Amino acid sequence: MLAPCAGSLLIAGGAVAVLAGAGPAGAPFHSTLHPRLGLDGLSALFALVVCGSVVPALAAAGDAMAGAPARRPLLALTCAFALALLGVLAARDVVTFLGAWELMTLLPATAILVARRDRAVRRTVFVYLATTHLGGAGVWVALLLLAQHGAVGAALGDGPRTLVLVAALVGFGTKAGVMPLHVWLPRAHPVAPSHVSALMSGVMVKVALYGLLRVLFEWAAPAPRWAGFVLLGAGVLSAVAGIVYALVQRELKRLLAFSTVENVGIIVAALGASVLLFADHRPVWGSIAFAAALLHTVTHAVVKTMLFLAAGAIGHAAGTLELERLGGLLRRMPWTGWSLVAGCAAIAGLPPLAGFSSEWLVLEATLHLGSGSRAADAVAGALATAGLAATAGLAVLCFVKLAGLVLLGAARSPGAAEAQEVPAATRAALVTGAGACVALGALAGEIVPVLARLAPGDATVAGGAALRLPGTGSLPAVGLLVALGLVFGLLRRATGRAPRAATAPAWTCGQRLEPALAYTGAGFTKPLRLVLEAVLRPARELEVVDGVGGVRRIRHRAEVPHRFDEELYAPLARGALRGAAVARRLQSGSLRTYILYMLALVIGLLALARLGGLA
Amino acid sequence: MTGADAGAGVAQVAGGLVLAPLAAGWIQHLKGRLQGRRGPSALQPYRDLRRLWGKSAVQPSAAGPLYRAAPAVVAAALLVAALVVPVGGRAADWGVGHDALVVIGLLALARGALALSAWDTGAGFGLLGAGRDLTFAVFVEGVLLLVVLLAGRAVGGSTDLVALSGAAAGGAPWHSAAHWCAGAAFALVALAETGRQPVDNPDTHLELTMVHEGPLLEYAGRDLACLQWAAAARLWLMLVLAAGLFAPTTGPFTARLALAAATVAVLCVAIALTETALAKMRILRVPVFVGGAGALCLIGLAGSLVQGA
Repeated sequence: MLAPCAGSLLIAGGAVAVLAGAGPAGAPFHSTLHPRLGLDGLSALFALVVCGSVVPALAAAGDAMAGAPARRPLLALTCAFALALLGVLAARDVVTFLGAWELMTLLPATAILVARRDRAVRRTVFVYLATTHLGGAGVWVALLLLAQHGAVGAALGDGPRTLVLVAALVGFGTKAGVMPLHVWLPRAHPVAPSHVSALMSGVMVKVALYGLLRVLFEWAAPAPRWAGFVLLGAGVLSAVAGIVYALVQRELKRLLAFSTVENVGIIVAALGASVLLFADHRPVWGSIAFAAALLHTVTHAVVKTMLFLAAGAIGHAAGTLELERLGGLLRRMPWTGWSLVAGCAAIAGLPPLAGFSSEWLVLEATLHLGSGSRAADAVAGALATAGLAATAGLAVLCFVKLAGLVLLGAARSPGAAEAQEVPAATRAALVTGAGACVALGALAGEIVPVLARLAPGDATVAGGAALRLPGTGSLPAVGLLVALGLVFGLLRRATGRAPRAATAPAWTCGQRLEPALAYTGAGFTKPLRLVLEAVLRPARELEVVDGVGGVRRIRHRAEVPHRFDEELYAPLARGALRGAAVARRLQSGSLRTYILYMLALVIGLLALARLGGLA
Repeated sequence: MTGADAGAGVAQVAGGLVLAPLAAGWIQHLKGRLQGRRGPSALQPYRDLRRLWGKSAVQPSAAGPLYRAAPAVVAAALLVAALVVPVGGRAADWGVGHDALVVIGLLALARGALALSAWDTGAGFGLLGAGRDLTFAVFVEGVLLLVVLLAGRAVGGSTDLVALSGAAAGGAPWHSAAHWCAGAAFALVALAETGRQPVDNPDTHLELTMVHEGPLLEYAGRDLACLQWAAAARLWLMLVLAAGLFAPTTGPFTARLALAAATVAVLCVAIALTETALAKMRILRVPVFVGGAGALCLIGLAGSLVQGA
C-alpha cells in the first residue's frame, strides 16, 4: 500500500504547488481529439481532494481487507479507480475526459461485484450502472457538442448554450446525486466495501461537480439566470430531502449515503447562488459563493471519507451496521469513537469545526442573494436561506442520533458488546481525518481567498485568521476555536473540582433502566416524523395478539418509504418495460421481416437525401 | 479601542454573566405577582446557583465522557455567544467577531452537546426532551435566518450585528413593512428558542412534558449550575438581540445602553404577561407556530420588495 500512497502524496504536492501560484502545468484544454493531460487551479484543487481521500482510504483498506479472499484484485481496483478520478481531472481533451469518466463509473461497480456476490447486490449494481449511464449520456452530449463548437477551453457562442447546459445539468447532476436524479446513490454507496464507499461518496460525486463547474463557469460561461434558479432549486431540494431521508434510515452506511445527497445539494445551491450573483453583476459575492461551494466540497470530502471509514471499522468490529444494534462503542473503540464524534459534529455544521465554516459561507452567499433588489433573486435567495438553515438543524438532529445510537448508551447487541478497536493504520487514518475537521474549520480564513481566486472574474477576497468579508460580522474561525477551548477548559476545571458522590441509576420515574426501555432512534426522531407526516407518508403496521387475560404480544413495524422511488421511478420503470414489450413485437424472428426493415430504412434514407433533408 | 467599546465589552460580560439570571428571576417574580401569589424573589436564581455550586455531583451509572463534558460545552458556547452579541449597538473586539450566524451556530452547538449528553445517560426522559428540542430548532433556525435577512436588507444584506443595530436606530426603519414583520417574527421565534410559554413551560415538573428541561434531569451540583446559568443566558441573549435589532436606539453610547436596559426590562414584563395569559400549546402545534413566523417574514420580504420598487 506504500507505493500508491506515496504516489498520491506526490500528486497532492504538485497540486498544492499549482494552487500556491506556480501556474497551470501541462497542456491547456483543446477541442481536438488528441489526448493531452494538464493541471490548472481548479483541477489541482480537486486532485488535492482526491489524494486527500485516497491515502486514508488505502490505509484503511489494507487493514479491512486483511485475510479477505479477493484482497489483491480489490486493492488493485481501488488504485485504478483513484487513477480514473485523477484522469478526469487531468484530461485536457474530450476523448481522455470521456474515457476516464466511463472508467470512473465502471471501476467501482467492478469492485462491488468482486467484493460481494449476492443477488441483491448484483441488482443494485445494475440500477447504479443503468441510472448513471442513462443520465450520464448527458455528459457525452454536452462534451461532444462543446468539442463540435470548438468550445472546450473557450467560451461557447449563444446559440447551442442552452442545449449544452441542459445536457450537462442532467449528466453531471446524475453522477453527483442531485435530486431527483440521485436514485442510484443511496443504493450503491452502502453495498460497496467501505473504502470504496468512502471514495465514491467522498470524491466521485465531487468529480462530477468538477465537470459541472467547468461547463457552468468556463465553457458555457456566462451561465444564464435560469441555470442559476435550476441549480438553487435542485440544490435546496436535495439538501432538505436528503437529510430528512437520512434521518429515517436504520443502516449506518445508507444514512451516510443520504447525507451525501444533502451535502451535494448544499454545494449545488451555492453554485446556483454564484451564477445568479454573477448574473446580477455582484462579482465579489459571486466569487464568495463560488468559494463557498468549493470549501464545502473540500470539507465534505474529508469528513465523509472519514465517516465511511469509521463505518467500515464499526461494521468490521461489531458485525453489523444496523444502528439499533450498535451502542456503547465509544468505550470499546475510543479512537474510532472520538473520530466519529468529531466527524458528526463537523458534518452537522457545529462550530468551530469544518462544516460550520463552509455552511456559514454558503448561508452568507444565499443571504446576500436574498438581499438584492431583483424580486425573483430575493425571493429565491430567502427561500434557499431558510431551507439551508433548516437543513443545518436537521443535520444536527440526524448526527446526534447517529452518534448517540452508535457510540453512547449500553451495547444493543452481543456483537457491539464485544467490539474490538481497529488496527493502527485505520486508527491513524481516522484520527488524521478528525484532525482535518478541526484544521479545516480553523483555517477557513486562509483557504477561502485561494478558492475565490479560482472563480471567474478578478474579484479578490481578503483572508486572515478571521475571515472579514464585506457585509458580514466576520467568520472568526481561529478566535472561536480558541475562545471555546479556553472557556471550556476553565469550566471543566471548576466543575471537576466539586466532590463527586457515588453514581446513581438514571431517573426513569423509579423504574429500573432495563435494556427493553432503551430509547430508540425511531423514538428520537418521532416528533419530526409526526410534523412531516403529510410529506413523508410513513407506513405503519400494528399487530396485537390477544391472549388469555389480556394482550399477549404487540408487534409494531414502521417504515418510511422513499417517495422518489415509489412515485417517480417506479412509474418510469413500468413505462419503460411496457415500451419494451411493444417494441418486442417488431422482432418476429423471421429473416424476411428484418430484410424488409432494412429495405424500408434504405429507401427512407434515399428519399430523405433526394429531398435535401440530409444535405 | 475607544472608551465606548471598552464599556460595551464590560456590559457584554457583566450582562451575560451576572445579569442574565436576574432577568429570569424577575420574570418569575412578576409572574407570581400577576397570578396573585407573592412569588419568589427576583434574586432566587442567584441563591439557587450558589446552593448548586456548593453541592457534590451525582452521576448516572451509565454515563460517560460526553455526559461529563456537556455542561462545560453548553456554558462555553453561551459565554462566547454573549461576547459576540453587541450591547447598546457596540461590541468590544474579543476576536470572535459579531456575526448573527455565528450566534445561531453557537446556540446549535449548545443544543447538540446537551442532546448527546442525553444519549450518554441512556434514560428516556432526557432523550424525549432533546428530540423535541432539536425538532423545534429545525424550524426556529430557518426563521431566525429569515429575520436576519429582513433586518439586514436595510444595510445591504449585512449579517454584522453592529451594523444591524445601527440600521435599527431612529424611527425611520419602522416606516418599512419588513421591519414590523421581522420584529413580530423575532418575538415568536425567541419564545420558541428560549423555551417560554406558549411553546414550553419553564416551570414544569412533569417529565413527560419537558422540552428544554428534559436533558437537565440527571444533572446535579456544579454541572446543573452551569446548565441553569446557560438557560438564563440564552434568554438574556435573545432579549439583548431584540433590543439591539428592534429598539430605536440613538444618541451617545450611555444613552443607548440605558435604552437597551429599559427595552430588556419592558420585554421581561411582556414575557411575564404572556406567560400568565397563555397556556402551553400542544407540542405538534409548535412547528405551525414557528412556521407562522416564517410566513410573516416572507410577507415582510414581499412588502419590502414592493416598497423598494
